[in-house]
Amino acid sequence: MSGSSSSQIVDSSMAEYAPLIILLPLLAMPVILFLGKIFNTNPTWKNTLKEGGIIALAAMGGALFISLVIIKDYIGSFSNNGDIFSLTWLNTAIWEGGSSVTSIHFGFGIYIDHITVMLLFVAAFLCFLINIFAIGYMNTDPINEDRNHRFYAEFVLFCAGMLGMVLSDSFLWLFIFWEIMGLCSYLLIGFYYERPSASSAAKKAFMTTRIGDVFLMIGLVMLWDLFGSLDYSVVFDTANIAAVNPGSLQLALGMMFVGAVGKSAQFPLHVWLPDAMEGPTPVSALIHAATMVNAGLYLVARMFPFFGAESMSGELVDLAFIIASIGGITAVMAAGIAFVQDDLKKVLAYSTMSQLGYIFTGLGAALWLANSLDYHDPVAQTIVVVAFGAALFHLFNHAMAKGMLFMASGSVIHEIHHAHHHLHPDDHGDDDDFDAQSMENMGGLASKMPLTATAMLVGSASIMGLPLIGGFWSKEGIIANAWRVALEDPRFFFPAACVLVGAGMTGFYMSRMWLKTFAGKPSNEVAAHVGPTNNWIKTPLFILTFVTLSSILLAGMGFAHWAPDSEYSFLSEKGLVEGIMYELGHAFANHDTFFFILTYIAIALGAILGPFMAMSLFGGKLEDGEECKPWFRPVIRLNNWVYDKYHWDNSGIATSGLAIALQNRLYIDKYYDLAMVKIVAGFSNKAAEVDTKIIDGTIKQIEDKSQKISTTVRSLTTGSARDYILWVAIGTLLIFFFIWGVA
Amino acid sequence: MIDPAWVSGLSAILFIIGLLGVFTRKNAIIVLMCIELMLNAANMQFAAAAIHHGDATGWVYALFAIAIAASEVAIGLAIFLAVYGKHETITLDDINVLSN
Repeated sequence: MSGSSSSQIVDSSMAEYAPLIILLPLLAMPVILFLGKIFNTNPTWKNTLKEGGIIALAAMGGALFISLVIIKDYIGSFSNNGDIFSLTWLNTAIWEGGSSVTSIHFGFGIYIDHITVMLLFVAAFLCFLINIFAIGYMNTDPINEDRNHRFYAEFVLFCAGMLGMVLSDSFLWLFIFWEIMGLCSYLLIGFYYERPSASSAAKKAFMTTRIGDVFLMIGLVMLWDLFGSLDYSVVFDTANIAAVNPGSLQLALGMMFVGAVGKSAQFPLHVWLPDAMEGPTPVSALIHAATMVNAGLYLVARMFPFFGAESMSGELVDLAFIIASIGGITAVMAAGIAFVQDDLKKVLAYSTMSQLGYIFTGLGAALWLANSLDYHDPVAQTIVVVAFGAALFHLFNHAMAKGMLFMASGSVIHEIHHAHHHLHPDDHGDDDDFDAQSMENMGGLASKMPLTATAMLVGSASIMGLPLIGGFWSKEGIIANAWRVALEDPRFFFPAACVLVGAGMTGFYMSRMWLKTFAGKPSNEVAAHVGPTNNWIKTPLFILTFVTLSSILLAGMGFAHWAPDSEYSFLSEKGLVEGIMYELGHAFANHDTFFFILTYIAIALGAILGPFMAMSLFGGKLEDGEECKPWFRPVIRLNNWVYDKYHWDNSGIATSGLAIALQNRLYIDKYYDLAMVKIVAGFSNKAAEVDTKIIDGTIKQIEDKSQKISTTVRSLTTGSARDYILWVAIGTLLIFFFIWGVA
Repeated sequence: MIDPAWVSGLSAILFIIGLLGVFTRKNAIIVLMCIELMLNAANMQFAAAAIHHGDATGWVYALFAIAIAASEVAIGLAIFLAVYGKHETITLDDINVLSN
């Protein structure tokens, strides 16, 4: 490994510091934990260091800084692909008949390519911003007092896991960091472990992802069996891939994909994600929306070289179809369940599942294209790269928007909670009937929390795919590429139709969420007393709003970087403005009539029909005399107009069987419980019977007999040393005669 | 020169005397002396073997055994002192705390 990597070491002094990106948060964890234990009640620790929040922020800031420098180096020179740092940890070999057959190296290294760069930026940037948010959210809530150090310690350990997973140079380390994240997810969901719902949600999340992890491990073992290594430098080598049986490889990758399904909460292993919202909101924002759930996507994206290899051409399309279908099913199913959720964070949780489904469909389409198109054709290569880029770009847009949405929702919940606390000071804790997360207790907040409302609006627009904002650029790309594949492989009509329908559904549930929270009149006195939030919470919202709004710039730049030698390389040939103009033309005036129509259908569904339905159902005027900020006054006016003109009562639909089924999460959780009771409990009973009758029975017999023998033997122990010596002498004589007799 | 067989026979007789003494005597110090007797019987056996084979190794072993026997006596007497401190007797029949 070190031999091959030495030629690829980036000629930059910063690359040597790449391991620090992982080490800084990793080392911050014990520091925060122990300092927190020692100085728990110290005022400096509490007020200046924010119970460890500042230490965590410093570590994350350092990691972000080094990440940005490395990303800048990478973007400056694309040839620097591959290992930039490697450390051999263990050298061993498989021995067979006295001679070493295969030598094995276990080592840790840093591997950088365009997937890493994308995920590294997302992870480091969001970890940093959400850390700022966490200081504003966690430290102002009395319920967290004196245990925030535990939160920050687990938080930075999670960040170390995420950054490590993105940067590591082998599937082995990917798996190790993957499990570290799983552990932190468990710990953080169960942060309020005194609540039974939180601790059972933590267990559910851990056990469900564990099912996926077992498959991932099986997949990795199979991959090891095929390649004799898990290092990217070995498994991605075209010559090595050519020597592998495509069927076995497809099976191994399929197993690994199940791991990704568990981690990214896709159907049918999605049940843990909505419950995971029991954790503190920064955790929901970071782990269960912006970063950890991307781990599964990252794993699938990492499989790209297998699909792109010439020797695998056309062999792995089934897996690509499965990936796209799972994504399509989840996109529609989760969007449907999000229709009827009243909990603000649960809407976002289902929205996360749905959007991750989009990305899986996009990846599936890109992998299909990579696997079937002609390897040597530059046009085909460009199509593949753009399709892959669209999926990764949606990952980026979704992470930014969803991180922001969760932080905005946290800001709302935080202030509702405070207002409730202010109005009912006798009510302590969360055990009372008031649910600060329910949208039934909100409404009319647009005038009271202008920045939060703006951030939520921009985030929702990005998720919905409103033209020109954030997710629009990537979502159109995913839908278009799914259909492009469907034109060649009819099976793909299913996921392609799913993502198209899902666009309209996304428009509906995101609008519904925004309207129920911010528009209309305050539903009770608590919502009427909500005030603006603090600066720690505002800052990341402000930054992310701009990032989401400016993603068109990234789109214009992105094509230049993903396909540097193709017709898309504007940055090198024409410049950023032309890149953006091309993007606009591509989206709104496509030369291909089919895609032209498709684009407009998607826009009509996501940006017009969905919000229109939501406005007519859930819209409402603000309280008289309440004014909102000028930049989203048009939205409120439009909403008022639609609501006045087209309002209709949906109580008939709300009580229909489908709505109730959706409210019950399509009964999937119930079926799981039933299966558990029937299969697992039945099996356990049988196992218990075997245990008591056969295993215990045998052991009891042995025990009885040995007790009898020992009672007999005990009479020989007289306690007199001379008797023992006599026995020794007799024994020695017996042995002597025995040996004599044998000889 | 005495025939090594005689030496060997004397050694066997001494060993059996020592062994019987260990089994039958009640006083711990007498038992210790009997053990010493058995060790010396073993030394004598070493000497007999050395004569028989014409090899000095047996003499060397005998010297080692004497050194070890000396330290064994020291430890044994120390144990008796400790036992006496605790039980106020070194009569072996009265010391049976290991009994069930």
